Amino acid sequence: MASSSHGHRHSNGLYTFSSRPRPVENSRDPSSERAEYNYGNIMYDRRVVRGNTYARHILPTTAQPDPAETQKQIIKKRATARKQAWKQLRLTTPVALQGRKHIDVQTELYLEELSDNIVATHKECQTDAFLDKPSTPLFIPAKSGKDVGTQIEEGELFDFDREVQPVLEVLVGKTVEQALLEVMEEEELACLNAQQRAFEELRHHELAEVERLQEQERRHTEEKERRVAQQKEVLKKERETAEKIAARAYTQQYLADLLPAVFTSLRSHGYFHDPVEKDIEMNFFPWLMAEVDNILEKRYIAREMLDTIICDVTEKSLEEFQELETQSPRNWQI
Amino acid sequence: MDSTRAPVAFGRWDVPLLFGRLQQPEAAERLRSLASLCDLMRDPERLYRTVTGGFLEQLLDLLKDEDPSVRSRTCELLHLVTAHSIGRQAVLSSSLLPPLTQLLDDSSSSCRINTLRVLNRLALLPAGAESLLYLVPQLMLKLQQQDKDDGDDGDEEEVLLLSTISCCSRLDALPALASDGVSLLGRKLTRRSPEVRREAAASLMELSIPVEGKRQVCEGAVLPVLIGLLQDEDLDVRTNAAGVVMHAAIITEGKLRCLHLDVVPVLLDLLSRQPEEDERSKALVLYSLRALTALAEAPGGRRLLLEQLPLLARRTEDRDRDIRRAAQTAVRVVTWTP
Repeated sequence: MASSSHGHRHSNGLYTFSSRPRPVENSRDPSSERAEYNYGNIMYDRRVVRGNTYARHILPTTAQPDPAETQKQIIKKRATARKQAWKQLRLTTPVALQGRKHIDVQTELYLEELSDNIVATHKECQTDAFLDKPSTPLFIPAKSGKDVGTQIEEGELFDFDREVQPVLEVLVGKTVEQALLEVMEEEELACLNAQQRAFEELRHHELAEVERLQEQERRHTEEKERRVAQQKEVLKKERETAEKIAARAYTQQYLADLLPAVFTSLRSHGYFHDPVEKDIEMNFFPWLMAEVDNILEKRYIAREMLDTIICDVTEKSLEEFQELETQSPRNWQI
Repeated sequence: MDSTRAPVAFGRWDVPLLFGRLQQPEAAERLRSLASLCDLMRDPERLYRTVTGGFLEQLLDLLKDEDPSVRSRTCELLHLVTAHSIGRQAVLSSSLLPPLTQLLDDSSSSCRINTLRVLNRLALLPAGAESLLYLVPQLMLKLQQQDKDDGDDGDEEEVLLLSTISCCSRLDALPALASDGVSLLGRKLTRRSPEVRREAAASLMELSIPVEGKRQVCEGAVLPVLIGLLQDEDLDVRTNAAGVVMHAAIITEGKLRCLHLDVVPVLLDLLSRQPEEDERSKALVLYSLRALTALAEAPGGRRLLLEQLPLLARRTEDRDRDIRRAAQTAVRVVTWTP
């Protein structure tokens, strides 16, 4: 199954591997056929350790110790044992006889005091605080060589008047340039000023002209309007007077025969009356009528009474006649 | 080396270094640095670098300094900065205007004069005039104060004040009119110095453009003074006075008053006196012609001018196109019949 083995050089065009990376193989399933790699997800592999590993018991990778390892250990043990044995076999001083003691003695030329006490003294050392570093002395090299002197006389190095010319030229040139600039600026300003002034003058007098014409127009239109208004007034007045005259004539004519008509109507309405006649009518006649009424009333009453009397009489006579009739037929039947 | 100037570094480091020196506590040191800066600012390149480097904000503190010479030097520096349009725009857009206006009431006169110079330059720009419009009442107040102490040395301040006012009024004359400008300027017309008179007449000319101004000019006692100024020695004063008369004569009341004050012969005299080739008297001729045109619309004026028609006709053959046109209009108006 491991068709891709170590040392397989597979060129991808970009990269060559001495050992091509390959995924972890899943546990071999003997039943299935192996045509290609069947790799499983490494996260779900049972062989992968999960979680913290600092508290785990680390089992040795193999259950049995490696035989080579054990061989080495055995050899080591044997070597140490051998050394021990040799140490013991070495010649040592024999044990002291009875009543005697072994003492260590120095046999060198000069005796040394061997003691465990080590003489120790305390010693302190401290640099002075705030001590400035002393200034280094001036390094004056030893004098060597010959003494030589020199002096520059006037006029030897350079000629001042000649040398100062270019500097002066530059200075003067710059000053003049600056001055020219300022003068030009002022001239420009003056030019602008003059232009502005000319414009202002033109503007003023054109303005005056415009205003004058405006005023003229205004005056003319006002005048015209006034004239027109006047004319209208005149016309209106004429019309009014004409109407007044016409109205006057008409009223006169109308009123001419109004007067007799009025009089007649008034008279017919009884506004012109004779007071005596009125008085007679108002006072006398009602009384007269009332009296007449009374008299007539009396007559009526009298007539009525007469009527009732006659009625009574006739009824009585009728009754009598009826009685007579009842009597008379008897009489007649006989 | 010059002891009144601080040393200047080389190349690009000159301006930043000097500005850094301005923070020092000693006033003399600051003065020296300011003097060097004033010299340097005449160069447009350095000016551009100063403005774009945003160094002008540091001048804010200097404007409130205790030492008056430091303050006046700072104003001089600003005066140089406003010589170019980029500087003007920077000053207008920065917050330097309020401290500047405070300096107007400063105790030292050189400081005041420099401040006024700065404001004057700013007012020449239309955007600047717009920003300075709110200052006009304050400036008028200052003029009034100047009136009280009638000294010769206050002239330069007056001239600067008046020219600033006239520039602002060019944009909008109403604030100046509202603070009683006409009568104040009328008083200034009688000052000794010709510059003051010239500037006062110029401001009056601006103020008399709106109708309200014209009416005020006619009502006040200003017209006789102006007509007196028409015979002044200085050409500019005459020109400006003629301009005011021209504007005032447009409304009917102005016409009547001018005729009443007998201004026509004066103007005609001015016309005939000017030599014809003089460039600067062109404005005077134009204004006089226009004033005469306006006056000719009134019947009284027309009658007077009909007699003087040949004089006007002579001006129609003048070399300059504008004068010719103005003269032709005048002749046309004079010979117009309803």
